[in-house]
Amino acid sequence: MTAKRTTLSDTLSAALDNPSVRGRSPWRDARERFFRNKAAVASLVLLALITLACVFGPMLLPHSYEDTDWDAMSLGPTLVNWHLFGTDELGRDLLVRCLIGGRISLTVGVLATLASVTLGIAWGATAGFIGGKVDTVMMRIVDMMYAVPYLLIAILMVTLLGREFYLVVLTITVFSWMDMARVVRGQTLAIKSREYIEAAHAIGVSTPAIIFRHIVPNLLGIVVIYTTVTVPGVILTESVLSFLGLGVQEPMTSWGVLIEDGTGVMESTPWILLFPALLLSLTLYSANYIGDGLRDALDPKDR
Amino acid sequence: MWSYTFRRVLMTIPTLLAVITVCYLLLHLTPGGPFDSERKVSAAVLANLQAKYHLDLPLWQQYLYYLKSLLQGDLGASFRYADWSVNDLVAKALPVSATIGGLSLLLSLLIGVTLGTFAALRQNSAVDYLVMLLGNIGSVVPSFVMGPVLILIFAIWLPWLPAGGWMDFDVRYMLLPMALLTFINVSTIGRVMRGSLIEVMSSNFIRTARAKGLPTRTIVLRHAFKPALMPVVSVLGPLAISSITAAIVTESVFSLPGIGKLIVNGAANRDYTLVLGLVVLITVLTVLINLLVDLAYAWLDPKIRY
Amino acid sequence: MRKTTVLSTIASSVLLALAGHAMAAKMPAGTQLAAKQELIRNNGSEPESLDPALAESVGANNLTRDLFEGLTATDADGKVVPGVAESWKQTDPTTWVFKLRKNAKWSNGTPVVAADFVYGWQRFLDPKTASPYASTYGVFVLNGLEVSEGKKPVSAVGIRAVDPYTVEVKTPYPVSFLPDVVSNLNLGPVNKAAVDKFGKDWTKPGKLVSNGAFMLKDWQVNSKVVIEKNPQYWDKGNVQLGKVTYLPVEDGFADVKLYQSGENDWVYQLPPATYEKYKKEMPKDIRNAPMLGLRYYSFNNKDALMKDKRVRQALSMVIDRDLLAQKITADGQVPAYGVIVRGVSGADVTAYEWSKWPMAKRVEEAKKLLAAAGVKPGAKVKFTYNTSEYHKKMALFAASEWKSKLGLDTEMESMEFKVLLKKRHDGDFQIARNGWVADYNDATTFLTLVQCGSDQNDNGNCNQKAEELIKQGNQSTDPAKRKQLLTQAAKLVMDDYPMLPLLQYTVPRLVKPYVGGYSTKNPMDRYRSKDLYIIKH
Repeated sequence: MTAKRTTLSDTLSAALDNPSVRGRSPWRDARERFFRNKAAVASLVLLALITLACVFGPMLLPHSYEDTDWDAMSLGPTLVNWHLFGTDELGRDLLVRCLIGGRISLTVGVLATLASVTLGIAWGATAGFIGGKVDTVMMRIVDMMYAVPYLLIAILMVTLLGREFYLVVLTITVFSWMDMARVVRGQTLAIKSREYIEAAHAIGVSTPAIIFRHIVPNLLGIVVIYTTVTVPGVILTESVLSFLGLGVQEPMTSWGVLIEDGTGVMESTPWILLFPALLLSLTLYSANYIGDGLRDALDPKDR
Repeated sequence: MWSYTFRRVLMTIPTLLAVITVCYLLLHLTPGGPFDSERKVSAAVLANLQAKYHLDLPLWQQYLYYLKSLLQGDLGASFRYADWSVNDLVAKALPVSATIGGLSLLLSLLIGVTLGTFAALRQNSAVDYLVMLLGNIGSVVPSFVMGPVLILIFAIWLPWLPAGGWMDFDVRYMLLPMALLTFINVSTIGRVMRGSLIEVMSSNFIRTARAKGLPTRTIVLRHAFKPALMPVVSVLGPLAISSITAAIVTESVFSLPGIGKLIVNGAANRDYTLVLGLVVLITVLTVLINLLVDLAYAWLDPKIRY
Repeated sequence: MRKTTVLSTIASSVLLALAGHAMAAKMPAGTQLAAKQELIRNNGSEPESLDPALAESVGANNLTRDLFEGLTATDADGKVVPGVAESWKQTDPTTWVFKLRKNAKWSNGTPVVAADFVYGWQRFLDPKTASPYASTYGVFVLNGLEVSEGKKPVSAVGIRAVDPYTVEVKTPYPVSFLPDVVSNLNLGPVNKAAVDKFGKDWTKPGKLVSNGAFMLKDWQVNSKVVIEKNPQYWDKGNVQLGKVTYLPVEDGFADVKLYQSGENDWVYQLPPATYEKYKKEMPKDIRNAPMLGLRYYSFNNKDALMKDKRVRQALSMVIDRDLLAQKITADGQVPAYGVIVRGVSGADVTAYEWSKWPMAKRVEEAKKLLAAAGVKPGAKVKFTYNTSEYHKKMALFAASEWKSKLGLDTEMESMEFKVLLKKRHDGDFQIARNGWVADYNDATTFLTLVQCGSDQNDNGNCNQKAEELIKQGNQSTDPAKRKQLLTQAAKLVMDDYPMLPLLQYTVPRLVKPYVGGYSTKNPMDRYRSKDLYIIKH
């Protein structure tokens, strides 16, 4: 008995000294690998620029996103009055509206992703760790969620709850966490059988503490990859909701709303569609490349 | 395998019940009813209408009534399309959506796998970048931008194809919507195929084959292709399901009389029975597609046994 | 456009024994017809039903108007012309007698008789049918309302077959415009044998028995409804089109694209702000005409802020309707300053005195009114509208006017149409987007918007004096007197500012130049395919 206890606490202390199985050097390796990937780095820079422009741009521009100008309706891009992207059908400056819309789209993307990733991790780690009947029920619920025609429910939810910003985030979150939950559960099952977790169990560390102190940190790699994959998906979902007329309220706007406005007039005033569509596509493109880069960097066997 | 399949099908029932119940409540909680219209109907007429559609009963009774007719395979009468039953509507709309969705999925499978293979074999070459760049466009340009652009080019500027509509499975009316859906799906399939083929090509058994001096062509076709296809098969399920969702956008862009059109009109008009009928249909389809994918997976991978 | 008044005024005896050929598609002399007489016409939405009793939307009524024919009909200029009835007269203030033609037949060859109308009307008003329009037209028929409410048996409806070819209609009060009302197919004939035989399925292709110029050939939901010339129709010699295809495309931009790619001959309605563009690009295709409809905003007269008449007046005064019509909607709509629109029979257009003032003076006066009401700049109003490009642009314009001229902040709330309807009907709003298109050509259809306790009054206002005037007007058998009373009532009620009238509707659309018989003098926008033809091109 004594001998065995010693073994357990040894293992435990080893695990506590080194909370991440990979240790530090693999992370440094990953970083180096990532920065060697030119496409990913270029995407990172581009995304950072777009984000910065959306955050600070509107403060520097002479126009407000809501002010109409009946003498400058549907202007093409021009230096006059600094309408660099032109104006929309109500004479509102398109550049500032694109940036403000970008704030909303990016915020929705980040918030909904964070929320769904958190929910997914908690759900998947819990199910995987506890196992047994709880696991079966929890994963059955995930299966059910997959079977729900989500866009239809999203339409109903937004109609029912209103079109407030946070409700759009909530609606998207509700239908985006399941992938994460599945992946995390699988990883948890794999990690759970490792010795140091058994050890923590044995000395009476509570279940939530084990999940959050030991299992979650070990999932970091896969979580980072999935997060970058989720962001573009969420932003796209927001734009689909906007296309169906369920986006944020006027005069506030988002890329989806701007694109929806632009598609109708794409023949006569193409720039009203072009600029927001370009910004959205560039953002999604960058996010995809960053995701690829991270996957390559963090998952060496995938090389 | 059969008992596995049977269990999976059986498990559909609680899923279906849960989904129906949630949708039922959501629908009835959503403000505005099927009979709210620009001309407000008088109280007496409203009472007549509600009586005609059993909406005067307490909610739980309506719910049980609905479940009972569902058991008999009757999805009820539509409110929005007053002359038609939901069964009629679904029976006419499903073939339209299924044809366009199915054919485009097949097409994107062919193109996506080819492109992915090509890119994987010449990894990090100009060809790889070009193929992936083109493929990526499908996943970053929203379908409701791409759709109108396709119409503008191929129906207005080059008047080759109709701008939309549907004429009894006439191919000309199917090309543009299919092109749009294919464009979207190709990017996913292409990326997955590329990734998995690269992984397989770097695995030990391929190295052994190379060491034996087999030509690349043989290695890819004989040994690497089948295992590389596995991840592609596993994304086919989600893709098929998302085609149903994508139909909402494509069918409104191209004015097609499919399931997506019914979903939008049903939800907008609070057509309770129609929306519930579609929810039942889509849920069953989703479960079936997932089952098929799992079975195909098992067939491809001899290690999996149920 | 007042021509219709002439028809409905002479209380004693109007008869339109025009010979058949006079009502044909009016072709200018020398018109060369195309060999292929087929038309594809977008209908704006999928018809909710082809049952004439249940048809509610414009789209469904366009179809029932082609498939069926009532006692009377309206021609391309919106004039009342004989339908199944050859002639009619008002025998006393509340009794009308319609003489049916002997050669009218159903598509199955059986004659159309008075009993078909009696059955059609009874079925329409029967609570079991649950027609959404039962109360709208029920009010014009003796006991119509009571029957629709289930208070009297269907046999009590004030319509009677005097003999197989004579229909007698009783009205609860003198309804001088009854010949116009009965052109609506909700009040059309129905073939009882077909309904009894096929039940709920009687409107399907191959089953529908109709008496109009066309019969149902094919119906694919959300795709098309195809109708063909009815060989049994009494006036078939004057029907040119052999086949008409109705499309259900809702999206205006998609509609235009189908038109440009040649899939469609008739755009239902141009999307906002495209009228000027197409007028330039396709001058031969563009058609635009005012119709009997009013765009307005409802004030919730019971709301804490809006219950003050001075606030409502100030909000109405500062909206520059000319600018709105010219720059924002830019489709030829006419500014409106009252509840009665141009071209409607039974009352004159009224306008606020300030509508002729310069804007600066209006703004000054409005500011005074607001100050007197204790509303300071920076105060908030809440505007509710349904999601649509058109309504959004107008709403942003109004918000900008209130902001720049009165310093009021507008919180905009856009929602799905059904939710807006619910909120409007429940009085759960402050200012809400609204609109009305006439059901029949008489001022009373517009007065229902502002009458006490009317189902269509979303504002919740009530002016007892105006109510009394309307009642007197409706009892009057003298058309001039009635018109004067109703005009007075309209003016009186609008002086309370219950709502904010904005624009009179127009229907800007594209119609191929080779579609003949299209008139821009059709105030109800009701075109029978019978009156249309394809010119050689």
